Amino acid sequence: MSGGFAELHDELRAVARDLLAGSAPTAAGGSAGPPVDWSLLAESGWLGLEAPEALDGAGATFAETAVILEELGRAAAVAPYLGTVVLGVGALLLAEPTSARDDLLRRAVAGEARLAVALGDGAADAVPPVPAFRIEATAEGHRLTGAAGFVPDACSAHELLLVATDPAGEPVLVGVVPGRSGVEVDAQPLLDATRELATVRADVVVPADAVWRFADARTAPGRLFDRGALAVACDGLGLGRAMLDATVAYASVRRQFGRPIGSFQAVKHACADMLVQLTVAEELVGAAVEAVVAGDPQAGRAVSMAAAHVGGAAVEVVGKALQLHGGIGYTWESGIHVHLKRAVLDRSLFGSPAAHRRRLAASLAPR
Amino acid sequence: MSPATDTDLEAFRAEVRNWCRANVPAGWRGAQTGVSDDEFVSFQKAWFQQLRRAGYAVPHWPAEWGGGLSSAQQMVLYQELAAHDAPRLVLAFVSIHHAASTLLAAGTDEQRRRHLPAILDGEIWCQGFSEPEAGSDLAALRTTARRHGDTFVVNGQKVWASGALHADWCLLLARTDPDAPKRRGISYFLLDMRTPGIDVRPIRQATGESHFCEMFLTDVEIPAADLVGPENAGWQVAQETLSAERGMTMLELAERLGHAGFGWLLDACARPRPDGGRPLDDPVVQDRLVELEIEVTALRRMCRHLVERHDTGGAGPVDASIVKLHYSEVLQRLTDFGAEVVGLPGQTVLRKPVSSGWESGAWVLDFISSWEWTIPGGSSEIQRTIIGERGLGLPREPAVGP
Repeated sequence: MSGGFAELHDELRAVARDLLAGSAPTAAGGSAGPPVDWSLLAESGWLGLEAPEALDGAGATFAETAVILEELGRAAAVAPYLGTVVLGVGALLLAEPTSARDDLLRRAVAGEARLAVALGDGAADAVPPVPAFRIEATAEGHRLTGAAGFVPDACSAHELLLVATDPAGEPVLVGVVPGRSGVEVDAQPLLDATRELATVRADVVVPADAVWRFADARTAPGRLFDRGALAVACDGLGLGRAMLDATVAYASVRRQFGRPIGSFQAVKHACADMLVQLTVAEELVGAAVEAVVAGDPQAGRAVSMAAAHVGGAAVEVVGKALQLHGGIGYTWESGIHVHLKRAVLDRSLFGSPAAHRRRLAASLAPR
Repeated sequence: MSPATDTDLEAFRAEVRNWCRANVPAGWRGAQTGVSDDEFVSFQKAWFQQLRRAGYAVPHWPAEWGGGLSSAQQMVLYQELAAHDAPRLVLAFVSIHHAASTLLAAGTDEQRRRHLPAILDGEIWCQGFSEPEAGSDLAALRTTARRHGDTFVVNGQKVWASGALHADWCLLLARTDPDAPKRRGISYFLLDMRTPGIDVRPIRQATGESHFCEMFLTDVEIPAADLVGPENAGWQVAQETLSAERGMTMLELAERLGHAGFGWLLDACARPRPDGGRPLDDPVVQDRLVELEIEVTALRRMCRHLVERHDTGGAGPVDASIVKLHYSEVLQRLTDFGAEVVGLPGQTVLRKPVSSGWESGAWVLDFISSWEWTIPGGSSEIQRTIIGERGLGLPREPAVGP
């Protein structure tokens, strides 16, 4: 990566960290922070980073989105970024361009329309997922049926984009409005108070213009899923980095036996291991981001490597942070539980590490 | 990277491939298993000269001294050498890396002119750093060098000098000021191994081989002209040169691990057992293989970034420690799994081919020799302390003793 890009990313990162500082659990007495001001994200241009400039976006790439995702993770921020930006805008960019698509994209970029995408049933843990909805041609028109659990940000979405199989067996996007009869969205209770997941059920006849085709139906659902899985890996990297920073700061001032606890090798070495794990995670996330940005046909492998590793590593790093904070770490007030719960949820979102490793195992090829 | 550079690199890759096909000795692994020390040395020296003629022996040296390949080209070179299962430069390792980087970073022009061409002609170096009472606490070393005019007289004992039996020269750390704080009284010397008073004895190691030696130094005279850097600044010279050489050596090893090491592990898993079943058909084995593949993938990228950051001056103070720690542990996990997968038949492989990498396919011995990475060069525990203190800024342990 050239120096110019690195500088741009550093700047973006600094601005994001600053803006999101108030959203962290430590600013909220240990509970999940207040939701990030959505209009502020829209004004900052972070909803349309990847949208073309002609559609009011910044014409940037997933590499820039990844910077924001990591900072959202660092702050354990409450924001429907997964639903609207990673999957929503991502899906619209993979759809065949139409004026309706362009319109929805513009509204999403402006912060007016929040989106959610159902790739499949999250509980199924399939990598890549199988569409949970189907369209049948009936006498009344296109009948959409199906149900998907664990759809990110569906509750607060103004519009849902459901990946469905059409009568020809091809994946398509179906745009529906939650709350209309025949489309039910039910929030699922979650231990992680920073995320929002919902069950979406549909049994409804949709107009023909609600069915949007992908520009490349063969690869689009997989690429969309890869975006989701990689977004969660970026989130995990941010969660882990925040917790390493907090642990180093705490271990440098907390004294026991007359010494800062960070001077004990048991603590110091655990922190060193956290840094090594995060460095490994950073390399894998970096490789996957580059592959996704380049449209590499092998991007799915790089994403699964990142997802498989970071999912587990983030939980280990955050868990170690809680351990090294001692009794304080176990209190609600410390807020570490917020990061831990989010890391554990992240690990299960868009495929478990084991499922990603299964996907990778399929391409193990002895010489 | 510009398209032109990519094209150049691909042309270079093709060149190296062709060279490898024509030059990697067929069947060298079999031929180099169980050979005598002399055969090992002559095979290594011949291979070194073959690489040298192609311009591949010291690609990381500056062009004026016979190197001059870019980092990207070096990476291609190491990838292709690994992919074609070329022998490794084991005997010349200290010479082309540690000795050369020391001379280039801290040596005088005369020292460079004397030794860099000689290294190309086959001069072999070893390292006299560790002592029985100075392992992880290297700065506690007690070997003394007393100055008498233009000569230093050295007395003491060194240990873990790899390849010292075959060495022509030695990189030596010795105490020149016993009254100074321990890191401020050490000097760095070039020691001619033919000097009277040097007694080298091999140490038999856990694998049964003897790659390391003890060195007893009795009134050994070193001319002051063979001092590297200022007197009493040897510790600082050693610190700088150790981190300077780490990037490219780690990259080479990581490419070996990625190409040859992981490839052999896959092959081992694909070999049918007497009942016809293959370990690779077991989902648990597949899962562990993928975990290792992920770790090796991250390691290779980490090494590439370390080298790039060295090139641009942007390397962090503990980047090299992180890579060394991670490599050591991945190597140990990978060879451990190899030993597990090959099972009892693996126990009958009593020798590993010399001149190979740390992973040779003799999995049990490979696993045992993996401690050669987690212990020397700053043990994994020392690396963690360095990472914690210099990388994260954690408080040091209260000092005990001098």
